[in-house]
Amino acid sequence: MDGAHEQELEDLELFQKHVSERFSDLLPPPPSDDISSDPILSIAWLRKLLDEFLCCEAQFKALLIMGRDPSQIVKPPLDRLVPEFLDRVVKALDICNAVLHGIESVRQFQKLAEIAISSLNQRPIGDGQVKRARRALNSLITSMAVEDKDFSNSKSTERAWSFGRRGGGGVSTGNATPQHKDRIAGQFRSLSWSMAKGWSAAKQIQAMSSNLAAPRGGESSSLPQTVYLMSTVLVFVMWTLVAALPCQERGGLPTNFPVPKQMSWAQSMIGLQEKIAEEWKKKEKKGSGGLLEEMQRMEKLSQSLIEYTESFTFPLEAERAEEMAGQVGELAETCKKLEEGLVPLQQQIREVFHRVVRSRTEIVELLEYTAKASSPIV
Amino acid sequence: MANNQPENQHPLHKTTSFNDAPKLDAVADDANLTPPLPPLLQTDAALKSLEDQDQNNQNQHQDQPQAREEKEKEKEKEEEEKKEVEEEENTKEGEENTEVEQSNNEPDLHYNLHTILEDVDQFLSTPHGSLDREEDSVVQIPQFIDKFLDLVDAKIEQYNNDESNAKEKECRVPEDESMFLEAVDRISKLKTAIHEMKLEEDKNSLINRIGNTQQRAISYLEEEFRFFLEESRNSDSDPAADTKGKQEQDRSALPDNESDQFQFPGYSDEIVNYLNKIAKQMISGGYESECCQAYMVARRNIFEDALLKLGFEKHSIDDIQKMSWESMEREIATWIRTIKQCATILFSGERNLVEYVFSSYPPMSASLFSNLTRGIMIQLLNFSEGVAMTKRSAEKLFKLLDMYEALRDMVPKMEVLFPEESANELKTETTTARTRLGEAAICIFCDLENSIKADTGKTPVPGGAVHPLTRYTINYLKYACEYRNTLEQIFKEHSKIERADSTSRPHFEGEQAPQYNSSIDNQSPFAVELTRVMEILDSNLEAKSKLYRDIALSSIFMMNNGRYILQKIKGSADIHELVGDTWYRKRSSDLRQYHKNYQRETWGKLLGCLNHEGLTVHGKVVKPVLKERFKGFNALFEEIHKTQSSWIISDEQLQSELRVSISAVMIPAYRSFLGRFSQVLDPGRQTEKYIKFQPEDIETYIDDLFDGNPSSMARRRT
Repeated sequence: MDGAHEQELEDLELFQKHVSERFSDLLPPPPSDDISSDPILSIAWLRKLLDEFLCCEAQFKALLIMGRDPSQIVKPPLDRLVPEFLDRVVKALDICNAVLHGIESVRQFQKLAEIAISSLNQRPIGDGQVKRARRALNSLITSMAVEDKDFSNSKSTERAWSFGRRGGGGVSTGNATPQHKDRIAGQFRSLSWSMAKGWSAAKQIQAMSSNLAAPRGGESSSLPQTVYLMSTVLVFVMWTLVAALPCQERGGLPTNFPVPKQMSWAQSMIGLQEKIAEEWKKKEKKGSGGLLEEMQRMEKLSQSLIEYTESFTFPLEAERAEEMAGQVGELAETCKKLEEGLVPLQQQIREVFHRVVRSRTEIVELLEYTAKASSPIV
Repeated sequence: MANNQPENQHPLHKTTSFNDAPKLDAVADDANLTPPLPPLLQTDAALKSLEDQDQNNQNQHQDQPQAREEKEKEKEKEEEEKKEVEEEENTKEGEENTEVEQSNNEPDLHYNLHTILEDVDQFLSTPHGSLDREEDSVVQIPQFIDKFLDLVDAKIEQYNNDESNAKEKECRVPEDESMFLEAVDRISKLKTAIHEMKLEEDKNSLINRIGNTQQRAISYLEEEFRFFLEESRNSDSDPAADTKGKQEQDRSALPDNESDQFQFPGYSDEIVNYLNKIAKQMISGGYESECCQAYMVARRNIFEDALLKLGFEKHSIDDIQKMSWESMEREIATWIRTIKQCATILFSGERNLVEYVFSSYPPMSASLFSNLTRGIMIQLLNFSEGVAMTKRSAEKLFKLLDMYEALRDMVPKMEVLFPEESANELKTETTTARTRLGEAAICIFCDLENSIKADTGKTPVPGGAVHPLTRYTINYLKYACEYRNTLEQIFKEHSKIERADSTSRPHFEGEQAPQYNSSIDNQSPFAVELTRVMEILDSNLEAKSKLYRDIALSSIFMMNNGRYILQKIKGSADIHELVGDTWYRKRSSDLRQYHKNYQRETWGKLLGCLNHEGLTVHGKVVKPVLKERFKGFNALFEEIHKTQSSWIISDEQLQSELRVSISAVMIPAYRSFLGRFSQVLDPGRQTEKYIKFQPEDIETYIDDLFDGNPSSMARRRT
């Protein structure tokens, strides 16, 4: 028993070490370092984060399921910690789904941006193209904001934009009156799929993190520590996804959840959390779309291009044309990143979903089996 | 003739050149500018008849672009002739026109959108100097191009003004739609053509002008597109309910007999045609993204509404875990109905619609259809994932199997319905979801073993009757066997998975996988599991039979339960086949053994009382011994009657079989005993005292047995 115990402790240490290393890879390098790395909260960075998650998950599963003494799992404190973990897993699955919808929204933003790009790239550029671009960009900005707002009433009960027949064609003017803004908002309320009525990403994250507490004293043997560590990683990853991508009802997303300051493995995670939380607070103030680096860039460029389109007069002066082309080029580059990154990201989240379901099933089976094996059968 | 004319000799060119129109730039902006032209209303009536013709032509030919082109060529010829006449008139009117135009306010009754289209067409079909060839001469832009743009602008303006107060018009396609669409088509073509042309003046302002009009026109079309998609459906187009009349209407109008499937999307043919034309114009004008997005958003909302109408509501996986079984059962029923509706009506309707609207753009319709249905499928699959994850319990088995079957039956339909790429992805997702349901079903089914093993109550069932566990288990199995094919399939697939992935499931590996492999008599994995459950039930029953102190009663208990099992198996061909004849015969012979045990145990003793041995000494009956024998017999029989009439055999046939077999042994034995010894006793009191039963009484009392009514003998005797 003692030998097994020692082995478990060793496993735990190894697990903690890996987690710590993986997350420190995600930290942005100090500014002095000129090694280029993927900016935090970019698609590439999120994909790295998910990779790390999948690695942690595999290691965790091995530790828990292949554990040397399966009967532990039905004894205190694991008999409480494991079901709590499984409950978090279920919530994480919903978050994966919501985030997948969010990615679908981002894809729609990308399409709108591409309309603007192709219109603004036309030469000679005229009022028609500019209007078309402005309309697309306005839609983009509005829908970014809308995706972020109250989703709880589904469009079937409340369709803000079913006023006047065919809308009086005013949209083509590009002078968005308040009514038009509403209309655009209504239209993009449902740019992508939505979750069940009343489902809230913020609440789910809250629920996942509320009972997350480091095991103490007698409970802090290796397996409870392992479960706790995995829970923290899970909550962190889901929290990051929700912050980065459009997600149903994430207003009031907690900006900090308990990560144990004293644990060495948690240091990088704390660093990341602080950074993201800071960004999130800024975002909440601005009321903009999401922390995804590409989205923020897209938003900024779109706003600036809207200004160009608003002050546009035909014919465009060469100097302004050049300025605009620069921004359009940047926007196109961002769209290219989305084009290349969104599908793999989506697939990866789907993989996380399936992997987590699989592990959950195995843990549940292990629990049931162990429970039966340890209760006497005549 | 007209075709051969060099463009700079076009009659109108002489009068005005492109540059002379100062309003070009000014007109460019927006709706608040009053168009320079008077409204076209007065010409609309005249136009209408022409349009109708035009529309007819188009309807006839829209599936055959080649034929249409030919037709148009013919038309062009005819029109050329007509035009020669017109042109003469034009030149006459030319001078007047210039004058009026200079005042910038000419009513120009001659030109309307319809007639000017012909000129535009002609301009477009004439070869022009190209940018790429230096030797080409510079192109003069005819003045009517400008006019044409004015007319289109005015038309858009008119539409927009009409619409704001035309709610009563509701979902009618505008009467002059086809002409407007043609005008938009020419604008797009002009835009492309002029880009290529070598123009005399700075062509950019013309391009700007065209682009502006195009943007306004297509924005208008986009609104139309969205509006008709959203609002023009038959409000009652509940996908489940067939509206017969509508169906027939559709059939008469649509070329193919798939028309009845249009009832789900619920648009009239006229509107579908209109949507098709708008899409064509938007896409050929380069507004593909707007068109697809509008289509996607509208159809997704409508589709989700249709699901809602079917009662399908989204639930988060988290909520599904917390649902009560009653509401989950309801949701499952709705889910199955929804899946089936999707497979049979909704998806194919959606596909027909998108293929019709985007008929000239198959890749686009394929991708729109995939994206839409993919979203729907993922939503539906999500529910089944959630259900498969809920706490497992026996009552869920059959609902899970229903779900499994619904998904299984969906897959072949997907192959037909979906474009290959998305079909593969969705098939994988569906298969994954189905496998999860299958796994859950197997776990539940195999859990039957555990619940049988766990049934270790120490209280025997009174009267040796059929144990509730037997009833439950057998009925459960019988019901499960109604899903035999599905369960066989699941077990086969699962045993494959088990082997593939066994390292992570230590407890299954050791226990079951080898069993599945050792299919000695080619039994399917499901049959093996079923037999296993039967065996476990059997040994459990045997243990339970030991709870009876009376060995006879424990035999009765075994007989009762065994009989119950065999009867049920006999009643279900599937179970019978699965357990096999050998098994069945073995169990029948076991039953006979219990029967024998019982007979021996109970009636063997009683028969002992009737043994002739030891009654006679030297050929003489020893009276006291005889008396004892009678006393013993009476007491024992009464005792047996008393206890065993409270025993229960609910199977009537078994009951009568037993009674008959008891009577067959007891009555002859008793009769002969009586015949041999009754006269030894003194008639009267003595006989009365010792011979309590006549053979007929014995038979009667035997018939009381196993009725579950204790101590009926006393009642009868008084």
